[in-house]
Amino acid sequence: MELIQLLLNGLSLGAVYALFALGYTLVFSVLGVINFSHGAVFTLGAYFTYLLIGGQAGANGLLAGLQLPVALPFALALPLAGLASALVALLIERVAFRPLRQRGSDSLLALISSLGAGVILVNLIQLLMGAESYAIPIGTLGSLPAALRFAGAQVRTVQVLLLAISVLLLLLLSVWLEGTRSGKALQAVSEDPVTAQLLGIDSDGMIRLAFGISGFLAGVSGGLVGLSVSIAGPYFGISYGLKALGVLVLGGLGSVPGAMLGGLIIGLAEAFVPAEWSGWKDAVAYGFLFLILVLRPQGLLGRPLGTKV
Amino acid sequence: MSAAPLLEAVPLLQVEGLSCRFGGLLALNNVSLAVRQGEIFGLIGPNGAGKTTLFNVISALTPPSSGRVLWRGALIPASRPDQLSRLGLARTFQNLRLFDSLSVRDNVLVGLHRFAASPLAAGLLGSAGERRRQRQLEQRALELLALVALEDEADLPAASLPYGERRRLELARALATEPQLLLLDEPAAGMNPAEKNDLCGLIRTIRDRFDLTVMIIEHHVPLMMRLCDRLAVLNFGERIALGSPAAVRQDPRVIEAYLGSAR
Amino acid sequence: MDAGLLEQMLIGALLALSVYLPLRCGQLSLATPGFFAIGGTVAALLSTRIPIFAGTGATSPLPALLLEMTLAGLLAGLLALAIGGTVLRLRGIYLAIATIALVEILRVITLNLSFTGGALGIFGIPQPFTTTAGYAGFTLVLLALVCWLCARLEQLRLGRAMAAIRDDELAAACVGIDTAQVKLQAFVLSALLAGLTGALAAHFLNSWNAKVGSFDASITTLAFVVFGGSRTWLGPVIGGLVLSALPELLRPVGDLRLIVFGLVILLGPVLFPQGLITPQGLQGLGHRLLGYGQQLRGYGHKLLVRVNGPRRP
Repeated sequence: MELIQLLLNGLSLGAVYALFALGYTLVFSVLGVINFSHGAVFTLGAYFTYLLIGGQAGANGLLAGLQLPVALPFALALPLAGLASALVALLIERVAFRPLRQRGSDSLLALISSLGAGVILVNLIQLLMGAESYAIPIGTLGSLPAALRFAGAQVRTVQVLLLAISVLLLLLLSVWLEGTRSGKALQAVSEDPVTAQLLGIDSDGMIRLAFGISGFLAGVSGGLVGLSVSIAGPYFGISYGLKALGVLVLGGLGSVPGAMLGGLIIGLAEAFVPAEWSGWKDAVAYGFLFLILVLRPQGLLGRPLGTKV
Repeated sequence: MSAAPLLEAVPLLQVEGLSCRFGGLLALNNVSLAVRQGEIFGLIGPNGAGKTTLFNVISALTPPSSGRVLWRGALIPASRPDQLSRLGLARTFQNLRLFDSLSVRDNVLVGLHRFAASPLAAGLLGSAGERRRQRQLEQRALELLALVALEDEADLPAASLPYGERRRLELARALATEPQLLLLDEPAAGMNPAEKNDLCGLIRTIRDRFDLTVMIIEHHVPLMMRLCDRLAVLNFGERIALGSPAAVRQDPRVIEAYLGSAR
Repeated sequence: MDAGLLEQMLIGALLALSVYLPLRCGQLSLATPGFFAIGGTVAALLSTRIPIFAGTGATSPLPALLLEMTLAGLLAGLLALAIGGTVLRLRGIYLAIATIALVEILRVITLNLSFTGGALGIFGIPQPFTTTAGYAGFTLVLLALVCWLCARLEQLRLGRAMAAIRDDELAAACVGIDTAQVKLQAFVLSALLAGLTGALAAHFLNSWNAKVGSFDASITTLAFVVFGGSRTWLGPVIGGLVLSALPELLRPVGDLRLIVFGLVILLGPVLFPQGLITPQGLQGLGHRLLGYGQQLRGYGHKLLVRVNGPRRP
């Protein structure tokens, strides 16, 4: 029974990492920049979800005691939180990325300005909602039982749900990228923005689309993690965000299947760290990352890094 | 292998059976040639013939798929561009690679890197000997800038120079490394006929003055005919001719493949 | 001005210079807080465990501080030397992520080892200076020294080679610069500076724990350099001084201060893409000052002529 539980833990954690890393990847593939505000958008998604299901703001923020007049079911609150996060991601693109892109600035600068956006978001959350942690009650899931029996083991419903939704989103994203016009247009922009523009693809539109989708993914995974392990305060997205960087490099920057594979590997590896070593769990992702950078810098599924002469 | 005549000196640079494949494209196909000490050796051919690829292989920027490069008859004991530079190889680039944020003078001083070696501590503390060395280096940089008529621009940022001057600065920077073999990749690109003429003179001057061997890629065929002692012609990665300008001019394969199609 | 705030600003400037050194040769390394943490841990351990460093337990001798700073710098430098060869083969964002990972690994190690005090860290680090002003004075001298060395470095072969690599690594290699070695030297110097700054900071803060070397710190120190400008040593110094002071100076706006801090980091790159301090800007300023100087000399000359009469030819 232990094994099933561990496996499920690892898979669901890995799926979250993968969703997170995909958000980075989408933006990286069109802009060549890591969007450091991504972790903050993830956090925001969790808080949106909490408020939309009718959760009450704690006593320490400006919004103390606030509660939305409606309490939505989780199945509705989660996508709405995703959409709201997508809007925030679009806003971030507008203020932190577009002015720099239009000037053709060094991509290092966008890294900093996106970080500034992240700092603002996190502290805004703290200002409004306080630093306390919030739990999304399991009752949100309606009549679903708290635990399921699966292959002779008890597993938490939340984790099954988390895994199922993540896998569904990953599949949808893959189908979209490979099978639709706009998905292919996005890939074309990531190959070569100038040529794509010449071929009549709206590069700016595609960049906005990438931000929107990555914001949606971040928001939804934030809500799911919030449901699964509770929201540990305004900073809780940051450690996920950092580990997702490891996932990203492990799989190969800019590679969508790579991000999924990387998420799976690191999620499973963390889940199988024995309890007495749990303090070292956080180092697993970075250890893998270091190893892969030394052995195969382009990542597991990335293309070789070349230099142009 | 046939016995080489003993009297003929070992060539400075030999390229033997060099091939270079990028995916499905054979950029160089079994190219062999030898560059003699002191000559100006031209490399011509249509666009995409593999000329720049050959330069890149010689200067260790691109690894060959097969074949080898010999320096003074021996395998080069180096695999990095900086090691080759210390061995006596310098080059310029077709698309100009200057240090744009540095001043014109500093670009040349970077070229003198190898001769500025001194313990970091002595440099940081600025000992008297160190200051004298520094002055000597700056003097040397100014001489090189004077040679390419850029001494008045020494303090300007390299990025601010017009195109032709940028080409000359890159040449001065390459000369600063005190090479024995200088690879020039389209040094006359973008110059008007008068400037091209001047450049021809300049290349001869530096060859004589610095006791150099020069390998040059250039599209302007009449200029190459005047300037070069010998020429090799590349087409689709193959060396189709090699010899004196007069011989190359009359080679039927060259006329057909290069001159014929270009006209 | 509050000496404690001044000390924080000075430490910020030193760390900014540590980020600047690799960045001057185009290497985006975020490892500075990791080396800073190592340096602090060395000093904290030595001065709380080893009698000759510990002094009376409340105050410690100044030479002990200098020795700790040296050892901390050397240890950080050695670590940089050991991993630099591998890490510096990575380019751009890959290097940045690898160095973030390094900082995080060091943090997890510090958290889990018993002799570094775990999550709580090490307390009661003895004080080589009895007043905050003493710290500020010492650090000011240190910063001045480091600035002077950086300014010298920029005039030297190594500094020029670093700038050349940033502009065009391939061309730099082709004029005979061993680019791997130059990058490694910059990385080691950066680690050394961060390490010795950590040793000083541990005494100043009186306690030391794993939190000092975090991702936040990586990004904040990078923001110092981007904000101030990465073309010349003065940029990071100004950036470090200003941005370290900002959260304190913004205390009057209360809870909004971190939001304003975020706004500054967000808008800095948008408004000043080159950073506040650029060589061109400095040159312009220099020319203007020179102009004023010549004007003054002209006045002085007129005055002399009036007093002494025209000079004989």
